[in-house]
Amino acid sequence: MSDTVFDFNGSKDAGWSQPSPLTENSASHIPESLRRNRLPDWPRASEPELVRHYTKLSQKNFGIDTGFYPLGSCTMKHNPRLNEKIVQNPGIDRIHPLQPEAQVQGLLAIYYEMQEMLAICSGMDAVTLQPVAGAQGEFTAIRCIQEYHKERGDNQRDKVIVPDSAHGTNPASASMCGYQIIEIPSAHDGRIDLDALRSAVGEDTAAMMITNPSTLGVFEPEIAEAAEIVHSAGGQMYYDGANFNAILGKTDPGRMGFDAVHYNLHKTFSQPHGGGGPGSGPIGVKNHLSKFLPTPLVGRKELPHGDFGTVGDGFWYHWESPPSSIGKVQQWNGNAGAVVRAWAFYRRYGRDLERMSEHAVLNANYLRFRMMNPNPDLNIHAMPIEGCPAEVVKHEFTLSMSPLKDATGVTGKDVAKRLLDYGYMAPTLYFPQIVPECLMFEPTETESKEVLDKFAEDFHAILAEDPDIVLTAPHTTPVGRVDEVWAARNLILRYPKVEPSS
Amino acid sequence: MDQLPNLGREQEMLDIMGLSSMKDLFEDIPVEIRSEGTLPLPLPQTEEEILRDAEKLLGANVNLDSRPSFISAGLARNFVPSMVPMIATRGEFLTSYTPYQPEVSQGMLQAMWEFQTMISELVGLPISNVSMYDASTSAAEAITCAVRVKSKKVEMPNTVYVSELVPPHRMSVIENYTQGVGIDIRKIPHDEDGFLDLNVAAEASGSCAIYVEQPNAFGILDKGLLRLREVVGDNTAIIVGVDVTSLGIVEPPGNWGADIVVGEGQPFGIGPTAGGPIYGIFACKKDFLRLMPGRIVGQSIDTEGKTAYTLTLSTREQHIRRHRATSNICSNETLIALMGAMHMALLGPIGLETLSTRILSSTRMAMDELSSVEGLELAFPKSPVFREFAVKVPGKSSEALSHIFELGVIGGFDLGQWWPDRGSWILIGCDERTSESDISLLKKTLTSWVEESS
Repeated sequence: MSDTVFDFNGSKDAGWSQPSPLTENSASHIPESLRRNRLPDWPRASEPELVRHYTKLSQKNFGIDTGFYPLGSCTMKHNPRLNEKIVQNPGIDRIHPLQPEAQVQGLLAIYYEMQEMLAICSGMDAVTLQPVAGAQGEFTAIRCIQEYHKERGDNQRDKVIVPDSAHGTNPASASMCGYQIIEIPSAHDGRIDLDALRSAVGEDTAAMMITNPSTLGVFEPEIAEAAEIVHSAGGQMYYDGANFNAILGKTDPGRMGFDAVHYNLHKTFSQPHGGGGPGSGPIGVKNHLSKFLPTPLVGRKELPHGDFGTVGDGFWYHWESPPSSIGKVQQWNGNAGAVVRAWAFYRRYGRDLERMSEHAVLNANYLRFRMMNPNPDLNIHAMPIEGCPAEVVKHEFTLSMSPLKDATGVTGKDVAKRLLDYGYMAPTLYFPQIVPECLMFEPTETESKEVLDKFAEDFHAILAEDPDIVLTAPHTTPVGRVDEVWAARNLILRYPKVEPSS
Repeated sequence: MDQLPNLGREQEMLDIMGLSSMKDLFEDIPVEIRSEGTLPLPLPQTEEEILRDAEKLLGANVNLDSRPSFISAGLARNFVPSMVPMIATRGEFLTSYTPYQPEVSQGMLQAMWEFQTMISELVGLPISNVSMYDASTSAAEAITCAVRVKSKKVEMPNTVYVSELVPPHRMSVIENYTQGVGIDIRKIPHDEDGFLDLNVAAEASGSCAIYVEQPNAFGILDKGLLRLREVVGDNTAIIVGVDVTSLGIVEPPGNWGADIVVGEGQPFGIGPTAGGPIYGIFACKKDFLRLMPGRIVGQSIDTEGKTAYTLTLSTREQHIRRHRATSNICSNETLIALMGAMHMALLGPIGLETLSTRILSSTRMAMDELSSVEGLELAFPKSPVFREFAVKVPGKSSEALSHIFELGVIGGFDLGQWWPDRGSWILIGCDERTSESDISLLKKTLTSWVEESS
């Protein structure tokens, strides 16, 4: 273990060079008992050493920039560099969220435009940009629904319905609001089972949480009926927007009958996820829920004739608080930097956002077709079967690797690991759980036909390979298959502590 | 449409699939719920046009570097070394996602394992996760975590004591996160010097947890907190919110009995960014490990026995445990935590101490200067502070702040927005970038307000 940041041997007295403090002996103002006796064992390294350290680490990391990243349900599309350039502007980087609104008119104008744009795309009436991740958006919307029922005296509604194919965050978010979760089984084809839904709803139904297209990547044709069933029981319909990339301009959650929706700006609108985040998870709601939204939202009023305002559009932008607001879910005003990036992204497409979804769906269907139709001369051990039989899929699709497992012992995980050797990120593995040995592929609209052709070809090569090679993959990555059990058993969660020699 | 590689090649791809038009791809959407016409949005723009609009809009904002600025209230107008954004936004880091495949994610995993170590060292606790959304969600989830760990072992299950000086925005987040699971929040008052009332704090003995902040919302460092463990006893979890930059000079809470330490990581790594993306830190003792929120990286080995890193203890998390998960958090703030790791590594122990000293000394200098102005009054003249202090002005603080803004200074935060009965208090925030001339301009402009309003 000689290559960590703690293994540099910089001088004990060195550190980042800084201007001198304004006064001397300021520490004397802190009671002695409160003073730190021993500084943390942080790295002792110079800038050149650290630049090389982190550059080397980056070279052991796979990103969209380095290769095809078909991670289903995560929408790993290209992140335009313009967006990164814009957020370096001091007009966003050096802004404090508590500055008076007169000092941040430009930011508020961007917020306003984003609220409007997201409402239009989703068929909702009001939008908050405050939630900072998809899961937090879910939590926020369920909180609003909870207050809605409370205000109507509907206090017996203590259950939230989710399909067994739902993202794990759905039940986790509803549970954090105090709801019991009713999981309903999917029909045999993976689609929503309306009979199961009918028998699950009742006077105790607070909401149903569902995504459409489903986590299997297919559109739920009976979604309006599902909404009708939940609404007649007095429940609210929540749209998990993780799969929004498939439907922009084609349909929207409002038309499907939903009351609330979250958007993943880090998926649909290309804000980079950077190793696990940041995200941004605004929510949109119908009018009857809007007064419960977190505070503040951005409003605007027209200025008198001839007054063009600070941003030059004739409006004054202001923060406003919904009358029965649930308060805050993040301390400030959301991930403003993510909102600005997403704004720059949407501006590229404008009213043609529909093209984006068309190409996402085109690519998914094309990749699925290519993967399911191999060169007949190949000696493939066993072809996968579709997670959900469908004429067309939307932006992603699922394959079960069970036949291969039965024929050779090679699992979905083995295939995923072998794909790493071919220079790809693996697809999403073993989700949704209702598809055995599931692999979920989402190519996004930013991959070329050639990349998709080559990927399908390489996938088939793996299916035809000597199983022993696949079972022990990966072989060409910086480390071999990592032992997750060892990690959980030994729990080495930090660099070993060096006790002071005294 | 420079973002779509297959533009103009649609028919070629459709033909291969045996489809005739793009419409075929959406035939599965029932006619009744299809959108009509085009989205009522502006025309598409080019990169040049978007950049022009962005510069115009963002240029209309008053950025903190454009004049002397004293607004902080939990976020820092910090100095971030140039290396940090340049290396952290390398495409391999920027465009990756959660390292579900450790074999091709060793870079981010190792960097996060090192981050965990630096946070652990900073706060004096053995365990750290790879980030929460911000300080407020970190505090809220620390409370729900402590309740999960302690509820079956204490006399007052589901009860948590919280300092009344937790800023209302953070308190609101805490309330949203705790109301559903039925946690009873009780407030602890402070004395006239802004110190926690330890007699009331003693009532927390037998409850699940106590949450306090060091420094508190008025920047006050409270040495009484060092006695908290003896006051609340061994069974109640002590959760402490910190200003991470104070810990080069102030004793870390892990050394005086804290079980969980949370805080805004932002001063290490990224500018205030209008409130996000930033990151919250979450560190704890071993007893909380299996019920804590967030992703954790552990060291492991590969098939050859070579050192490797991987996400571990995932069975706590939503994608495995679903509604029984310890939290719903999935996307977090890893990229910003990576920036934090780089910043902390650059500072090193001595750099941290220097940074803390600089912030402390500019705070003291501003405090001393303003205390000499007739008509201004320090709210807590006797209490030691870090980064921030509260000053009472004649008239309304919102008007005082407008006055000095017109004279070229972003003067601080109007505490009347948080606590209406403190409508003449301003929270002055200082930092490593505060200069002597900034302070003298603040003094001059506030003096002008005093004269104006008398």
